[in-house]
Parts: sequence; structure tokens; C-alpha cells
Amino acid sequence: MTAATAAPLLEAVGLSKNFTIGGRLSPGGLKTVRAVDNVSLQVWPGETVGLVGESGCGKSTLGRCLVRLYDVTSGELRFKGEDISHYGRRQLRPIREEMQMVFQDPYASLNPRRRVGDLIAEPLRVHGRRTRAEIDARVRELMGLVGLSADQLQRFPHEFSGGQRQRIGIARALALEPHLIVADEPVSALDVSIQAQIVNLLADLQDRLGLTYVIIAHDLSVIRQVSDRTAVMYLGSIVELGPTDEVYRAPAHPYTQALISAVPVPDVDRAARQRIVLTGDVPSPIDPPAGCRFHPRCRFAQDRCRRERPALREIAPARTVACHFPLLEIEHAHRPNPLSRGAGEG
Amino acid sequence: MLKVRGLKVSFRSEHGLVRAVDDVSFDVGEREILGVVGESGSGKTISLLTVMGLINDPNAVIEGSIVYKGRELLGLPQRELRHVRGKEIAMIFQDPMTALTPVYTIGWQIAEQVLTHNAVSKRTARERAVELLTAVGIPNPEVSVDRYPHQLSGGMRQRAVIAMALSCNPSLLIADEPTTALDVTVQAQILELIQKLRRDFGSAIVLITHDMGVVAEVADRVQVMYAGRIVERAAKRDIFKGPRHPYTWGLLDSIPPLDGPRPHRLKSIAGMPPSLLALPKGCAFGPRCRYRFEKCGEPPRLAGSGGHDSACFLSPESRAAAWAGRLLDDKAVS
Amino acid sequence: MLGAIVKRLGQMLFVMFGISVLVFLIFFATPGADPAARIAGRNASPETLAAVRKDFGFDRPLPVQYGLLMERLFITQDLTSFVNRGWKVVPAVIDVAPVTLSLVVGAAILWVIGGVVIGLVAAATRGSVLDRTLMILGLIGVSMPVYWLGEVMNLLTQARLHDTWLFAWVPPLGYKPLTADPVGWFLTLVIPWITLATLYMGLYGRVLRANLVEAGQEDYIRTARAKGLSETRILVRHALRTSLITIVTLFGLDFGALVGGAALLTEVVFGLQGIGKLTFDSLRNFDLPVIMATVMYASFFVVVANALVDLLYVVLDPRIRKA
Repeated sequence: MTAATAAPLLEAVGLSKNFTIGGRLSPGGLKTVRAVDNVSLQVWPGETVGLVGESGCGKSTLGRCLVRLYDVTSGELRFKGEDISHYGRRQLRPIREEMQMVFQDPYASLNPRRRVGDLIAEPLRVHGRRTRAEIDARVRELMGLVGLSADQLQRFPHEFSGGQRQRIGIARALALEPHLIVADEPVSALDVSIQAQIVNLLADLQDRLGLTYVIIAHDLSVIRQVSDRTAVMYLGSIVELGPTDEVYRAPAHPYTQALISAVPVPDVDRAARQRIVLTGDVPSPIDPPAGCRFHPRCRFAQDRCRRERPALREIAPARTVACHFPLLEIEHAHRPNPLSRGAGEG
Repeated sequence: MLKVRGLKVSFRSEHGLVRAVDDVSFDVGEREILGVVGESGSGKTISLLTVMGLINDPNAVIEGSIVYKGRELLGLPQRELRHVRGKEIAMIFQDPMTALTPVYTIGWQIAEQVLTHNAVSKRTARERAVELLTAVGIPNPEVSVDRYPHQLSGGMRQRAVIAMALSCNPSLLIADEPTTALDVTVQAQILELIQKLRRDFGSAIVLITHDMGVVAEVADRVQVMYAGRIVERAAKRDIFKGPRHPYTWGLLDSIPPLDGPRPHRLKSIAGMPPSLLALPKGCAFGPRCRYRFEKCGEPPRLAGSGGHDSACFLSPESRAAAWAGRLLDDKAVS
Repeated sequence: MLGAIVKRLGQMLFVMFGISVLVFLIFFATPGADPAARIAGRNASPETLAAVRKDFGFDRPLPVQYGLLMERLFITQDLTSFVNRGWKVVPAVIDVAPVTLSLVVGAAILWVIGGVVIGLVAAATRGSVLDRTLMILGLIGVSMPVYWLGEVMNLLTQARLHDTWLFAWVPPLGYKPLTADPVGWFLTLVIPWITLATLYMGLYGRVLRANLVEAGQEDYIRTARAKGLSETRILVRHALRTSLITIVTLFGLDFGALVGGAALLTEVVFGLQGIGKLTFDSLRNFDLPVIMATVMYASFFVVVANALVDLLYVVLDPRIRKA
């Protein structure tokens, strides 16, 4: 549910994150990987933004930048209007109480040597300001919130199933009553039926506690289910952003279209439709193609796409896309010939 | 072509007997694609590993019968099973990143399989490797054949693995979650490849997956497993249009739809799969099933009509009522 | 690429330089180690001490002494011993090198073959009595100090059981040059070879077995089985080949160290006049030039072995190579 509020809760403006690999004396020399490349994104209070893309697209890196787990190479990050891009650890401390992260691997993100009760209580202890009794009560409350029973507090993580561990991770993230939760692939390591439980849990918690979410996933079905707005990422930048329903119903970027069409759907009738199968592999972010990053795999690529990199621009209210020839705009106008025939409305 | 009857695979452990596969019987016909669907602990992988004779845990207890082209495989000494493995029945696994030996080129590894089962020269084996790499769509096969696995991307590696598996023209290919570790767009390529190969090579394929979507794309028949047992089995169309088992319903409900209305909440199956050490006495799905009644305390048999079997005591009428109830639920929440 | 080589060479030189400085300083900084006093002998008169000091240049500043030492060692190669006056150090080192080499190379062949066989057999019969026995034997081999084992061997072969047919052929302790007396050379080295190899055989056997067992869990081994390959082929061609990387790098380092003189104890026990024995004697006598020469010799081999091992790693593991 999108609440109408003046300012976004979290805003990234031209955010970039680079990593360097190799060294001057190694073969190939020093290389810069632009894992997140000039990303601008606003997250409004109460909404859920979904970040979707394939491996190497930078969505996980972006998620970590948003909660300042990484330092930002350039650009701005504003939380509740405050510019936190260059805050040091001390300044970030109060901010950290308000934004938390839930991680992908429920097997790796919980310290196997600590009891579950301690793991959930840790954020409370680290930030102080509560007595032991208060912490205890809060931990029990959190266990209940995520659907676990309080008499399991003394157990160790390995005694729980994957789904339960993810619940523990969520409880831990909720400990300090954050406003924003960034969840990096919260369900991909889980079985399908457990995924559904956790997806429902996240939705319930959002309603109950008024949370704002940024959900990062590669699973398009999950993103569609949970997000109000969806951002599609490719090689470090957002190529399409808009209300989820519209992005999925009528994608504007050829990559979004191919991505949606590639998902195998449990529907025998849909299986009969034509699939857009992209050629080639997901390119590496170390040496991205020139011009539009997607042009080597794009059916509609033109000269301009090879030379000039498209910027994100608005093609409809609240819908932006980074493409010279977005599929929406040109429905009504002349469309350049696709390089290979594909079916579908485009 | 492949007849599995009464397969039981258990593992002795310090906590008791883990029943991974509990009385499973199924057939695989020539040239068909059988999708085996289940979540973790369903026994889907172990049952097919047993067919290949790849269970070498000394604590394993295996009973039943696996007949391949008229020949009983269970109990065959490893020496003879090795002639079947890789030549008649081939298997590929989930993670292409670690599936190939890192110190040999892909051409060498494919040639190794060819040479193991065929008395041909090294040169012929190498030519065959190039031929296979072309068939699976790897660009520049003459050059790629001398590449090391780490020089290929995930999708290309999986293609190489598939090429290797098909090198001796097996009649049956078992693919264990072949696309799970791959990106969606690459997954689409591999699934397309698998279908093409069925056409070109004529092998039957058993596709193990947890993804009902994959099965809808590619399979002819579908078999759903839960807690080591088969709970439903039917032609693809029947399973999606008219699933009979409450677990299958639950599985289908758990998948968020990619188009159409978004449900307010997903209809998830409550609870967790049972521990394989202590399976419930009756229907293994009983404790989590909304439609459970007294009869479910006994173990249900896999039975049905028209090629559509399910292991559930719901009568056709009760089932229809439950199904109608589900549809009402759908309308209420969307 | 070239940059990497240059960088590496620079590192090697730096390490050797550092070691030489360290040894030099220890010689002068060790308490009670007034080199002049040692050379002049006990109860030397102050005049004798002063004369000795002047003679050997101990009255010059330290850095100058260091410089001169290094120059005489490497450039002019006419460095002479402090203890045996006039005895040229560099030729002495070169003279005894073949002894160490004979010992180490022979032992290396033994322990590599032995270790690989033990590791393979143990891994192939994992969990069986044979496996456990081999591992225990290996552990025993690793635990026995080489000087103790050497002395025990001597006790048996030279003294107690010398007259029995079993060990009658064992010649007295000492080394016979290969060119002069090949049979004698061989016979004198057999027992030392076995002694030195025992330790390493046990170690390599255990390490290889652990590596093979670990490799056996890997996905690519499962693929190899699914291909229908025989267990032997899988073990040798797939598991061993990948585990070999660790073993080879380990071997490179051990071999380098041993050639440089780490077989010291073995040489002493068996009376073989190799680099190790030379180092040992020079340390007893505080003979700095000889110490310096042997230390430089040893560090050279260790540093070179390290570099070669890194190179070999790249050759053996294609994943390390850049396209």
C-alpha cells in the first residue's frame, strides 16, 4: 500500500559502487567493476519495492549499499531526508536501528554457535537502552510475531529447518523496530511451499507494523507477488521501473519482456505461447558492452543502441525505462523491424 | 523401458532408520519426458540415484526392483552396472559450476566417456566431442573443445555436461534439477535444448525438479512425490487442469502467479514436511492436509483411472467439493 | 606478466638479504658471543684478543664488516673461515653439496612413491582395517624424531645386528662418492634414505588420503561415476590429479628446504658430510663465514623452491591461469 507522504523514506541519487579487481602487475591489469552504475531510486514509506534481475546485475550490491553495509563510491544516499552517503560508523549507528537487512542464506546468516534467543537479542543489546527484562520480553514477542514458539529460544540454529531459520532472521531484523527492511533473496533457498509461508509472513508483518520493504530476488513470480513497484536491473543499472502490475502486464524494456517470457509457468495453456529466448549469456560486469548494455542480446537493437547509452526516462506516469525504443511508446508509432521474429504483443 | 517396482531406500543412522524412498513404483516409456516433482526430502533424487546405482553409502538399505529393458539392475555387481551407466542411462546434476573436473578440458572429459564405452580411437572420440558440442549449441566447438570448465559460463557448462551425457546415445537421460542453479534466461535456453535433444537423439528423459513451471513447459507426464512416496501421477494436462491430491493443490497454490490477479495472500501449506525418521502411520501428508478425515490414518494406495493416479482417500465427490471450495476461496481473496 | 616476475625476483632478493642481515646480527648480538674471544680461545690475553680483532676486522664498523663479508662470499668468493684459517668457504660448500643432494634425492624418490601409494590405497579402502593400519603407521612415521630413528637404525645395522645376514652389507658410517664407488655410494645411503623418507612418507600418505577423501565428495567425482568410469580410474585420473596439486606444492617446499641443508640431523647421525653437517659444525664453532655461506645456500634454495612451487601451481591448476 502506498501512503501519500511528502518525502521518500530512502532515496538513492546517482548511486554507484565500484570494485577493483586485479592489480597493476597482474595479467590484465587493474580493472574496475561497476557493480552499481548510477542508480537513482526512491522508496516511499509503507511501500514494497522489488528489485529483480539475473546474476551480475548488481541488485544484491545495491541492496547492501542502501543499508550502508558497503561504502558508496559516488552519488548520494538519503534516509528520511538525511544524507547518509558518507557517514562513518558512529553516525550510522542511530540510522541502523531504523533500517535492517534480511539475508538470503538461512544456513549461513545465523551464527551456528549462538543460541537463537541470543541471536535475536543481540541487536537490542548492542544498541543498549533496554534492561534485561525488557530485552527478554521483546525477544519473546518477536518469536511470536514470526510464528515461532518461545520455548525454542534456547536452541541452536542447526536444530531448525530452513524456513524456521529464515523466520529467525526476520525476527532479528525486526528487533529494533526498523522502518525499512531490505531483504536480499529472502526465500530463494527455501522449498516452494515454505516460500509461500514466508512471503505471507512478510506481507502480514508489513500490514501489522507499517514496514517499508525493498525485496531483492531473481524470482519474478515472487517479486510480482510482494512488490508495489518493480525495478528491473541489468548490469548494474535499472532498465525499467514502474508499478508492478503494469510492468508485468506490459513491459516497456525488451529485457523485461524477455525475462518475463522466460519464466516457466505452471500453466499448460500458456506453455503453448511463443517464448522469447535470448541468445548468449548474461555478460560479465567487468567488460560491459558499449552503448546500451543490453544491445548484443536485444532483438530490436539499432545503430543508436550500439553507440549511445539510453538514460532512464519517463514514458508514462510513474513508469521509467532506459531504452531508445521502448516497447510501449512505439506501440502506436512505427516500430523498427525486430532482428528475429518473435510473437507476443511486444 | 524402465520399470521400477516397490523401490525402498532407507539409511541407517544413529537416530534410527531414515526412509528416504518408501515403496515407489513407476515406468518410463521410450522417448517420453517424465517430470518428477517434489520438495526437499521427497525422495525424488534418491530414487533416481538408485536407478543409476550411485548410492554407495554403506548404511543404505535398498529393496525392490529396477528393470531396464528387461534386465534387473538392482543387485547387479558394480562391474556390470558400469556398462549401463553412462552408456544406456546417463545422469546430469544440478550445479554445472562444479560438475566437471577442473583440471581436464571439456573435450578430454567427453572423449573419456566415449572411450570408456566404445572401442574407438582417440581421434574419433575427439571428433565426436566436437559433434556433440555443436549439437548442444556451444559456439566455436573446435576451439571450445579444448577449453577448461572454468573458462565457460554456467549455461555453457551445463550444455557441455548435457553433451557429455548424450555422448553414448543413452536411451534414458536423468536430469536432476538441471536448471535450478541457472539464471532465468539461461534456464529457458537449456529447457529448449532438452526438448530439441529429445527430438534429435530420441532419448527418454526423467526431469527432476521442484519447479512446477518447468514441468509444465517440458514434461509429458508428471509424478509428484512427498516424503518418499508418489502422491500423484498423470499426464501433464491432467495434473494441471485437474489435480487430485491436496499436496499437488498446495504446491500449485504456493506459486505466485505471473499474470492475472494477484492473490492477497498465497494459499500456503501449513506446517513442515515430516521427518523421514518418523513418518506418520497413515498418509504422510495427513498432518498438513485441510481435508483430512478418519480414513487418512491408514496409508493410502496409489490408484486411479485413465492414467491419472493419486494416493488419497478423498472420493471423487468429496474431491469435487473440496475443489469447488478452493475456487471459492480464490474468488474471495483476489 | 613481466612485472609479476620482476616483482617476484625482487621479493626473493629482499628475503635473502633480510636473512643474511639477521644471521649477521645474531652472530654479533648473541650474548656472550664475542667472536674474537671464541676464535682466540679461552684464557687468551688481551693482546691476543686485540690482535685477533684486528686480523679479522672486528674493529671495523658493523655495516662495513657485513659488506666485506658479502663481497667475499658472492663476488670474489675467497671468503675464508674464522676457525680453520685459510680454508676457503665457497669451494667447501660446493664440495659437500653432492652428498646432501644424493641423500635428499634418493629419499625423495622413496617417500613420494611410498606416500602416494599409501595415500591411494588408504583412500581406496577407506574405513577398512588396511586403511586404519596405514594411517597409524604413517602417524608413527611422522612422530619419530629423525635423529632418534637414525640412531636406532645405526644401533641395529652397525652394532647389534650387524653380523647377521640382514645387515652385514651395511658399510660403516660415511659417504662414498658416486663417481668413485657407485656400489659403495648406494650401500652407504640406503639406511639414511629409509630413515629420512619414513617421516615424509607418513606425512604425505596422510595428507594425500585426506585430500583424496575430500575430493571424493566433490560433484565432479559424482559426474565421473555417472559416466560409468571404473573406481580405479576415478581415483587415479580424477581425484588424484586434483589432489596432486597440494602434494606437489608441499613436495616442492620440503625438497627445497632439505636440499638447502634441513637434512642436518640425518647427516649428523649417519656421518654424511653434507651441507647439513657443515652447517651443524659451523654453528658449534661459531664460524661466521661458514654459517653465512650455508645459510645463504639454504635460503636460496628455499626461496627458489617457493617460487617454483608457485609456478608449478599455475601449471597444474588451470583455474589459476588467466586466459
